[in-house]
Formats: sequence, structure tokens, C-alpha cells
Amino acid sequence: MTRILVDFDRCEGHGLCEQTAPEVFRLDDEGELHLIRDEVGPEHESSVAAAARVCPVAALKVQP
Amino acid sequence: MRRIVVVGGSIAALTAAQSLRAEGFDGQVTVLSDEAHRPYSRVPLSKGILAGREPVESALLPEPGDDIEFRTGARATRLDPRARVVTLADDTQVPYQGLVVATGARARRLDGGSDLVVRTLDDARVVASRLATARSAIVLGGGFLGMEIATTCRALGLEVTVVDLAPPLLRLLGPWLSDLAVAAARDHGIGVRVAPDGVTLLDEYTVRCGESVLEADVIVCAVGDVPNTSWLEGSGLPLAADGGLVADERCLVAPDIAAAGDVVSRHGRRTPHWTNAVEQGRAAAAALLHGEAARPYCPDPYFWTEQSGLDLKISGELPLTGAPEVLAGSVDDRSALLRWTHDDGTATAVAVNHRLPIVKLKRLGAGPPVATPSGA
Repeated sequence: MTRILVDFDRCEGHGLCEQTAPEVFRLDDEGELHLIRDEVGPEHESSVAAAARVCPVAALKVQP
Repeated sequence: MRRIVVVGGSIAALTAAQSLRAEGFDGQVTVLSDEAHRPYSRVPLSKGILAGREPVESALLPEPGDDIEFRTGARATRLDPRARVVTLADDTQVPYQGLVVATGARARRLDGGSDLVVRTLDDARVVASRLATARSAIVLGGGFLGMEIATTCRALGLEVTVVDLAPPLLRLLGPWLSDLAVAAARDHGIGVRVAPDGVTLLDEYTVRCGESVLEADVIVCAVGDVPNTSWLEGSGLPLAADGGLVADERCLVAPDIAAAGDVVSRHGRRTPHWTNAVEQGRAAAAALLHGEAARPYCPDPYFWTEQSGLDLKISGELPLTGAPEVLAGSVDDRSALLRWTHDDGTATAVAVNHRLPIVKLKRLGAGPPVATPSGA
């Protein structure tokens, strides 16, 4: 399982993570980020890593 | 198409490579990076890395998965689109069926390569080590990068002056925000020297501005960037007057060749910003796989900068003319939400030290509508 950590102080609601991995990240109407789940299996590992990569403020970390 | 090669190693290249997988491409994907490092973000280079406040590892990006071959130290020197081969500096030939050009840009140099710049991780480390023992600095160039470098110098306690031919950020942002940024810089203790008659780098420590000569322990050049397209000369691919690679609205350059990121020139203009690199990376992957059926790429004119105690987030077209409407906060306090409405009905929204989710800022500005699951 891959664990997803969000630094909510850094998160500014850019939404690039949601565009990359909508199965995990969701921005609400207020632009606040929510995790639909904080662990994913191997099938989502690559999209979650990609979401962490595109975050402009490096607010996301993934832990294998 | 069984083999796609992505030339470049930064966020546009990585996004393109990963997007090929996300789009279901199951052939071979090879990324050729000319750097020695694992992929990293340039965003913290002018800030925490330069200040020595954050370790180099903090700039590293999550690596691509095992289904993507990522080669470091692989510098492309030639492209033959007819034979479909990329040649590397060591004469290795890398054949492809589909190609993404994401070679980015390099720092423009004033001094044939010996001047200090902040473009790569190695550049930032060199400048950081120089700043650590310096008492004064001059930053040549009052663009976003130059102002961010000057801010970091101040945070390190250096005496710092920004020198440019025109007022900082005037060409990029327009007079209103340029005035705001310059006032904030001066309040922050950053000297600003406008030298319309010319600036000449005399040696490592000396610069001539018009009649006067300025000295500092460190001189850093931040005078723009140049797209990395020299390896494409002779390939027949279309290069713009700005040196960028011309791509269409789907990020396609030629049959089976797409491009993304700082190297791309669209409508005579390059957009060397993070969001753009990500979105073009996605578009380039879709265009290679789906051709004309791919959705046209819709530019998202969003970017941000942190300088002189100002956290500026901007959504919409620049530069700006006239004064803004103040939607919240106060300009005198330098904490405000601002909006400029343009003649064509579009708008540019700017948050100055005003925390607001970016999707909301984009709704106020001219950014594309941001889809949310609830459809708001």
C-alpha cells in the first residue's frame, strides 16, 4: 500500500492533484482539498506519485 | 506506436511520460534527461535551496514508475525526424516512433558562461555557497527570478541591489503591480537601480550602470532564459523568432512529434511557468496518442511569485494597465484581492498576501473554468 500525506498548511488548492488522480484527491466548492482515501494499492501508485509530482507547492508526499 | 521517447527531464517531460501511461499507452517510454540528478522541481531553487534553508533532497520529485525508463546524463545533440532518431552527446542513437520535445530552457548568459545564474540545481548550490559567506550581492535582472533571488539575499542578511534597464517587473506585470513590487522591495531593504543607458558586467565583482560602477561580493545574473533548441537545428522543425519550438493548439509540432514546457512557443510567445509545463505535458501525451482527436490544449494563465514579503498569485493575462478593483483587503496593508477587467470582458485576478484557494482565484480571473465533481 502507498500512503499519501498532505501538508495542509502548504496546500493552496491548485487542484493539479485532482486532475491527475481524481480517485484520491478532491477539491470541494471552496477549493479545499480532501483525500477520498489516504492509502492506495499498487494500481494507483503511479497516478498518486504523479499527483505529488505536479503539486506546485510540494504539499504532497507519498510513502511506499 | 510502440516506442515513445521524451527528451527532457523536468516537470513537463515527466508529466508527458506519466500521462502516456495514464492514457493507456503500453509500449516503451524512455525519458532522456541531460542532468546528472534525479528529477527535481526548480520552484525552491531561488528560495529555500538558495538560502541553504532546505536540503537539496527537498527539491527532488517523486520518480517515475518502473514502467518508464529514466536516463540521466543523456544530452540530445541532434534530431533526424525522417529516420526517427535522436542522437546523444556520446553518439548513442535512440530510435523512436513518437517523440516529445521537453528540453526546457537555459539561463541567458551575459558573460559567456562564467557568470552566476540560478537555473539548475547545481547552479543554485554554487550560488548558495557563495552567498553563505558574502556580505553584499547585486542581482542583474528585475524579473520574477531576479526579485526572488534578491529576497533570498536579504533573508540571509546581505546588502542587495537589483539592477535592470527598466523598472523591475514593469514589462511583465504592468505599472501598477511593478510599482507595488518595487515599493515592497525598497521597504524590504532591497536596493533597486534602474539603468536605462545600459548595464555591463565588468568582472566577477563589478558592474557598470551608465556612469557609475557598482561592486558586490557576489553578482548573480537573472536576465531571462533561452529555449534549448540548438539540438533541433537542421531537423527542419519550426523554430520561432524567440528560439522556441512552434507547437499547435494540441502541442503537436510535426507528425508524431509533440512538445511541452518552457521550450514551446505558441502564437509567438513562450510561457515558462509550472502550471503550463504540467498542462502541456498532458496535452503532448494525448496529442501523440490521439492526434487530431485529442482535445485542444487550453492555456491556463496562472502563476505565482514570492518576493519582498509579497506573495503574489495571478490568474489571467498580463501585463495589466490601469488600477484594479479591490475585491477584499487593503492595498495600503499589502494584503488584498484585486481584479483588472479587460476591454474584451476577460479579467485578471491577483491575490496579494491574501490566502484564497487557487480555484477561486481562477474563477475571478480569466483562467479556464475549473471542473469540480459537483460541477460548480
